[in-house]
Amino acid sequence: MANRPASSLGAALASALPAVVTTIVLVVVWEILVTVTETPAYIIPAPSRIWEALFTGNSSLSYHTMLTGFESLAGFVIGSALGAMLGIVFAYSRFVARSLMPYVIASNTIPVVAVAPIIMLWFGAGIGSKVAVTAFLSFFPLALNMMKGLQSYDRTVMEVFHVAAATPLQRFFKMRVPSAMPYIFVGLKLNVTFSVIGAIVAEFVQADRGLGFVIMTAYRTLNMPRLWAAMLASALLGILLFVLVAAAERLVIPWHSSMREVK
Amino acid sequence: MTAQQALLAFSGIDVTYGGEHGTAPVTALKAVDLEVREGEFVSLIGPSGCGKSTLLRVAADLIKPSAGTALIDGVSPADARLNREIGFVFQDAALLEWRRILANVALPLELQGVPKEKRLARARELLALVGIGEFENAWPRQLSGGMRQRAAIARAMSTRPRVMMMDEPFGALDQITRDRLNLELSRIVEKERMTVVFVTHSIHEAVFLSDRVVVMSPRPGRIREVIDVDLPRPRELTVRDTPRFTELCRLGERLLEEGFHGE
Repeated sequence: MANRPASSLGAALASALPAVVTTIVLVVVWEILVTVTETPAYIIPAPSRIWEALFTGNSSLSYHTMLTGFESLAGFVIGSALGAMLGIVFAYSRFVARSLMPYVIASNTIPVVAVAPIIMLWFGAGIGSKVAVTAFLSFFPLALNMMKGLQSYDRTVMEVFHVAAATPLQRFFKMRVPSAMPYIFVGLKLNVTFSVIGAIVAEFVQADRGLGFVIMTAYRTLNMPRLWAAMLASALLGILLFVLVAAAERLVIPWHSSMREVK
Repeated sequence: MTAQQALLAFSGIDVTYGGEHGTAPVTALKAVDLEVREGEFVSLIGPSGCGKSTLLRVAADLIKPSAGTALIDGVSPADARLNREIGFVFQDAALLEWRRILANVALPLELQGVPKEKRLARARELLALVGIGEFENAWPRQLSGGMRQRAAIARAMSTRPRVMMMDEPFGALDQITRDRLNLELSRIVEKERMTVVFVTHSIHEAVFLSDRVVVMSPRPGRIREVIDVDLPRPRELTVRDTPRFTELCRLGERLLEEGFHGE
């Protein structure tokens, strides 16, 4: 049943086919409609104009994308690591969970645009502050899912470990963490999506480079094709990071029922 | 009968649940004495609430008795458990879904710190013994209920425990699978000279497998009668067609019935 990478790659391509076809049709219809109706580019630019803008402009879009990508990734890693640690503490201490949960929830409901300027002041104008805002945003989902996952083990499996005289560390690493893995990946997938948003919002507030900066300057100069191109780049960046996490999930939890191929 | 030293001895076991927060305490077991000799197969049978699982759990250090002592080869259940002298099979196979069957069976040895090569060799040997050798690389979810339970039995046997506790291990299986596993279990037990305490709802299963059947009655849980099963070994399924088998089952049924009404 397992070990057939070739066919699972084929299956992945086959499952992507409907989305690819839809995109092609959408782009063609869009191009035709915009051309026929002579819609001005500042309302909706034609796909060909956006495509063009991807490769032109004062500075290379790929440079800005890479920078924002780095901020997203660094913030994602730091935020997830902190979130995981807090989730573990919450899972093991009801008291700490009850004491700190209101703050954690509050920190998640505060709009990031309000928090970002504060963080920017603390961490300075450089890349560090963008990473910090991103980490702030990609922290909460894993903390909660980690806690839930660590508490969701099977009680009989726990008794199996008890009868087998497992140590607390063995219970943690060989039982609770593996059974939390599906939850952990739910948290990581949410985090990675938020991380791109976090980096761009931080660049909105203050930056001289990155996709958020490009979007901001393009808007001020009404260079809409470039704005759309930056939007496209940020979407592609988000998808790429998400796909990386999803691929890691396939590697780490091939046993889980969610990994069963949908026929 | 008592010529041989008891391997497992319960004396004066009381177990009382609850009683906090104003609820009336429930007496699950009252003054239970029972001895199980080495190499003996003893079944505990009785209606729900008679404390048969509770007694088993006391022996495996999953419950502390309110009064009385349980000794396994002269030591407490807690010490016996830490010495890996207890095997326990639950009604639910409770396999670790994230491990292949081989690694599941090897788990108790892994927790004990047995080197990888040695524990995998032992696990393979056991998988062959329980008849699922060809599934060592399968995920648990790919196996049927009967096969999962075979793996659970192999896992419980891995540390060569002095006593094997089985808590309705075949309770969730269909009748055909159950008959087949009864037959195979009785062969394995004879071959490995295991000492087994077996909880079941089925008098037929109990008589087929056991040297002695302990009939229990509820409210409070106590031992009503012990039936000596003098059917010759090794037993085939056809033993169930003999008059003696029928007679023993009738006796058991009558005792269960009386335990229910004659309080």
